[in-house]
Amino acid sequence: MTANPIDLARREFLARMNTGMTGVALSRLLAGELTAAPAREPHFAPKAKQVLQIFCPGAASHVDLWDHKPLLEKYHGTPLPGGQTEVTFQGKNGNLMKSPWPFAPAGKSGKMISTMLPHMAGHVDDIAFVHSMTSRTNTHGPGCVNMNSCFTRDGFPSAGSWISYGLGTLNENLPTYVAVQDLRGEPPNGKANWSNGFLPARFQGITMSAQQQLRNLSRPSGISEREELATRDFLNFIDEEHARRHPGNDELRARMAAYELAARMQMTAPEVSDLSREPGTIHEFYGTNDANKLKAAYARNCLLARRLLEQGVRFVSLYCASRASAVDGLLNWDAHKTLKADYERHCPIFDQPTAALLTDLKQRGMLNDVLVIWCTEFGRMPTHQDGTSGRDHNPDAFTTWMMGAGVKGGVSHGATDDFGRRSAVDIATVYDFHATVLHLLGLDHEKLTYYHNGANRRLTDVHGHVLQSILA
Amino acid sequence: MIQLLVFLTATASADPAGIAFFEQKIRPVLVEHCYACHSASAKKLKGNLYLDSKAGWEKGGDHGEPAILPGDPENSLLIRTIRHSEPDLEMPPKKPKLPDAVIADLVTWVKMGAPDPRDGAVIEAKRADKSWWSLQPLNQDFAHGTIDGFVEAKLAEQKLALNPPADPRALMRRITYDLTGLPPSLTEVEAFVAACQADRNAAIEALVDRLLASPRYGERWGRHWLDVVRFGESNGFERNFIIDDLWPFRDYVIRSFNEDKPFDQFIIEHLAGDVIGKDRPETEVGSAFLVAGPYDDVGNQDVVAQKNIRAATLDDMITATSGAFLGLTINCARCHHHKFDPIPTEDYYRIRAVFEGVTHGRRVVASKEQRHAHEAATRPLREQIAKLTAERDALNGTIEARAKEALAERTFPRPKIDPQGTEDRFQTVRAKQVRFVIQATTDLRGGGRLTEFEAWSGGRNVALAANGAKADGAKGAVAEDFPDAYGPQFCIDGQPGEQWFIGSPAILTITFAQEEAIDRIVFRNAKGKDVQDKSQGATPCEYEIQVSSDGKTWKTVASGEDREPWSPAHGIQRVRRAVTENEESAKLAEVDKRIAALQSQLNQVPALPMVWAGNYAQPKEPTYVHKGGDPMKPQDAVIPASLSVLDQVTQPYTLPAQAPEGERRLALARWIASSDNPLTARVLVNRVWQYHFGTGIVDTPSDFGFLGGKPTHPELLDFLAGRLIANGWKLKALHREILLSRTYLQSAAYREDGAKLDKDARLLWRFPPRRLSAEEIRDTLLTVGGKLTLEPMGGRGFRLYKFTQNNVSTYFPLDVHGPETYRRAVYHQNARASVVDILNDFDLPDIAFAAPKRANTTTPLQALTMMNHSFTTDMATALAARLETPDPVGSAYRLAFQREASDNEREVGGRLIAEHGTRAFCRALLNANELIYLD
Repeated sequence: MTANPIDLARREFLARMNTGMTGVALSRLLAGELTAAPAREPHFAPKAKQVLQIFCPGAASHVDLWDHKPLLEKYHGTPLPGGQTEVTFQGKNGNLMKSPWPFAPAGKSGKMISTMLPHMAGHVDDIAFVHSMTSRTNTHGPGCVNMNSCFTRDGFPSAGSWISYGLGTLNENLPTYVAVQDLRGEPPNGKANWSNGFLPARFQGITMSAQQQLRNLSRPSGISEREELATRDFLNFIDEEHARRHPGNDELRARMAAYELAARMQMTAPEVSDLSREPGTIHEFYGTNDANKLKAAYARNCLLARRLLEQGVRFVSLYCASRASAVDGLLNWDAHKTLKADYERHCPIFDQPTAALLTDLKQRGMLNDVLVIWCTEFGRMPTHQDGTSGRDHNPDAFTTWMMGAGVKGGVSHGATDDFGRRSAVDIATVYDFHATVLHLLGLDHEKLTYYHNGANRRLTDVHGHVLQSILA
Repeated sequence: MIQLLVFLTATASADPAGIAFFEQKIRPVLVEHCYACHSASAKKLKGNLYLDSKAGWEKGGDHGEPAILPGDPENSLLIRTIRHSEPDLEMPPKKPKLPDAVIADLVTWVKMGAPDPRDGAVIEAKRADKSWWSLQPLNQDFAHGTIDGFVEAKLAEQKLALNPPADPRALMRRITYDLTGLPPSLTEVEAFVAACQADRNAAIEALVDRLLASPRYGERWGRHWLDVVRFGESNGFERNFIIDDLWPFRDYVIRSFNEDKPFDQFIIEHLAGDVIGKDRPETEVGSAFLVAGPYDDVGNQDVVAQKNIRAATLDDMITATSGAFLGLTINCARCHHHKFDPIPTEDYYRIRAVFEGVTHGRRVVASKEQRHAHEAATRPLREQIAKLTAERDALNGTIEARAKEALAERTFPRPKIDPQGTEDRFQTVRAKQVRFVIQATTDLRGGGRLTEFEAWSGGRNVALAANGAKADGAKGAVAEDFPDAYGPQFCIDGQPGEQWFIGSPAILTITFAQEEAIDRIVFRNAKGKDVQDKSQGATPCEYEIQVSSDGKTWKTVASGEDREPWSPAHGIQRVRRAVTENEESAKLAEVDKRIAALQSQLNQVPALPMVWAGNYAQPKEPTYVHKGGDPMKPQDAVIPASLSVLDQVTQPYTLPAQAPEGERRLALARWIASSDNPLTARVLVNRVWQYHFGTGIVDTPSDFGFLGGKPTHPELLDFLAGRLIANGWKLKALHREILLSRTYLQSAAYREDGAKLDKDARLLWRFPPRRLSAEEIRDTLLTVGGKLTLEPMGGRGFRLYKFTQNNVSTYFPLDVHGPETYRRAVYHQNARASVVDILNDFDLPDIAFAAPKRANTTTPLQALTMMNHSFTTDMATALAARLETPDPVGSAYRLAFQREASDNEREVGGRLIAEHGTRAFCRALLNANELIYLD
């Protein structure tokens, strides 16, 4: 048996409970630690209790969205100094290319932000940008997994799994960690992005979205509620008989409790994903009925994300766009050839619904508990890709941001060089980013460990420094 | 955490003046400048050197010499480092040199003989050295001669004892699942119970022998091994494409277990099957092990990224090899010396040198006879085809020469099409519909794309969707998870960028909102202004524009006939027909027909078997140690050689730097599989023990290093390892010995005294009860439903997901598991990062890494799947159909649990059946704990 602290805690708990209590009462008590883990104490007083991750896969361009580079405009059409011979992911690069859209100052902080994001501009005073991010890979799949788990290889637990492992659940009737997929499909490397890796399966991200309910949630067609109840009663009867014949086997009771919990999840999950309970004004605000089908679908997922957070889901990963397709930049932010056309498709999908979600969270006071993090896997080149009007991959510079619980608003950490080619000031890594996320949740990234195949593994591997400058 | 405590006793007592000097001048300096990295209180101990005790500097650190040589400051490492006289040897690191006065004090102190009162201190080793238990030779001298002897002795130390023997029914289920992964039938149980009454020992021996001889044994134990060697049937990473020809390796593993192949041979085949088994496919296929792991195959143009990807690809092979066979985490020595085990980083690169020539991929794995037979069957056909092809080419050549002449004489009044925008004007015509009939595209082989199609009525593009128009047309590509992709609607969205992928028939039909008077059309295939590159695909270059008012009769209003051809080849194609003689056409048709017939005969000859068994080539460059694991920072070259971590117990070897590729792998394989390598046998018997008892004697089966678990029964481990080697590395004898022990045959009953001292029964005061594995659960449901198909064994795997590929792969779990999936779960094609129902719910690992030990979790999601997935309902229906009418409850219990139902169970179950029928009742049984827990 692995001696992980949760299993130990569970065993002790079960040992204490073994006497004097049977059946339903015991199961109720057990239920809490099954969905993910019982709520656990953080290492120190947390600033945030929950995380909303918004992930724009495909490498959303920092120099076209968040990171204003005036010199890129000035030197548009001229070679990138020292960059003439650079070969990046897809090959050679051309001259510097300014963003197709102007930037404009926003908020009291006067933060420059792309005019393609007019709604998001309204939030800049609450956002802490990290402009000096760097990645270890220039490839989407490994990059997405890296942004989620700090490793480029599949098989390591994602941040959401680590946090579920570290903090446990807030609502036993729902999964602790939910991944909300885009209508367009899975992000690059798919399910590896919300994998529990080598952590026990109960820390995995569970997928549900406005377009796809939790898997196997509904009872099979053709089985009435009465039959279902009678079946469960009988199951409980045979399990009870069996458990009585097998004293000292905690797992039997635990599995019985899991069935009760599943039944409760069958009640709770559909309620949470029933968006029709929201007033029309909210729907309009998010844009759930927009004529653009993709925008409407993403807006519905934004609304679902809020409802999941409201119900105490610990970590919600919300994806805006999906994987690579036969056409670069069609299904995600990977604008290799036609940046302008691609982002004129993606930005409107992202902008209003995301901004509405943030406003809604703020108005409800949820940002006291919820940490919002915006992620993408790496950045894009300041030059255009040879023979195109798009940009190639750039792992040396990209922007992410945080807002909400524990985060200082209207600030920026670090900076890229004059053209956005490389991070240059206060360079930050994915390790630093997640060390900060854990810190805000009251977890010391060096202490949250799990033994696997010869090492006490951490989310941040052997790196990571908390980004102090963005802490409130 | 296990810690090695070394108690050091007080030694020489130094003179009081020397001690005073130490206390005044030296201790404060050490505390201030050195302890942060070189003491028991260091957050991270550096260089494995302690300066907080005399013993620490006497022992020295990774340099392997004492840090201080009393009386000899010039040669003392400590003095050399603080003087900053040698590069890369500067202490304290990254800081200015200590003041000269301080250095002078330290020199004086060393000259004095380094008096140091800090003796009797406790050094807490934070890592293992070569005296680590698992690196010692196998113990040969034992206090006991049987498994039970060792186990009972340990129990006695805790004043515990084995449980009484298990009851035959429980035993029958335990042994049958253990050796075959399947439940016994009621008849088998009853026969066994009866036989036990006559002679318990004989009955058990007969049972064990029967099951070890069953082909089901290899399916069960082969599956264990597949976990250990991270066997997965897709490449993982971004593309995660499915691999359809790795299953022969799975079958090879199952076959090897069933044949009781000596494990040393099995190991050698894994690493060098192709070297020792040329023309013997059954041996050669073993080396598919090397390429059964994930690897990144994305086309990356960045050189640094390419090197990193190659390093990661080889790292997977190194990790898999060292973990599976040696229980060493050599992969932890990729960037630096191993932090916890005595594995220098050179050892890591020594193995890399062995695998340097291996690449992922498929190749023909066939015997000489197969190759000859294939050659004999195909050569005459290929020769005839070649001859006919030459004939056709010659004829085509003459026709094309004439066509070229004809083309030179022809004039084309209009310019060639322009992918950025081609316009055709015509006399104003009233139409409800316009269609673009594409006869050829700029890729003469076919296929093409279109971004926009416009039809103009005065100043208005009436083909725009925004103006109410609709577009129809077949698509040439599909994205199953995003149905709108690549559709014709993109041609009328008024946006460049997204494209219609032209399908067959190649016709785009636009229906206007109402009848319009149009006089020109424009079509474009450009993803942006002035953007031209191969990735945007071919553009229509030969076409007709037709209009209609009723959708039935079509009138051609324009065509590309008079446009200059896109290319000379296109021009030739266009005029070719006109210059071809009738008899030439007939001749061509006839030759084509004959070639097609021959080709079809050729296709009917079964292809030589291809297997994803990797490709091997002589490395072009030496292997270097990479500083910090960074392939851009090569340091010293290493040669393929045995690992220094084991050089005191095994026979070391080194190969020349240019050693042939295959020889490198064979040498490593033989070194690993030799009986003087204590790790190989220990690690293997521990795995066998783990799969029998749930937990190994070492509970970290692929890590016998410092961070791994320590053996609960170290002597027993060596005893078993010795038995394995004595038995010629055959597992079946070992299974037999374990299964016939009283330790294994005892009851699983719970006991307060045992539970109090040893809750997990690591000492085996009871047989540890267990839940079935994912595969066993699915196989059991199928067995109970009477649906499991056992034969034929092996072959191509079945899938519980729908596999789709559109640039990258997506795996969608199936909502219905059809009869083609009613095979043993070991035959499921386990793709990486695919999540399927039941199997993954019950901890089938994602095989990004080896899974030497399965997790065993209980979650509500398992309950949701088992209650609600149609597979359970299907099996419940199937079980219901097997029940006998007079006593459905009784027969269900016999089929599911191999026992009689109690009166109470009959009564309660009968009530459920009376009210809701047998399916409801069976659905409950399939969800019951009794079905999936074993005593």
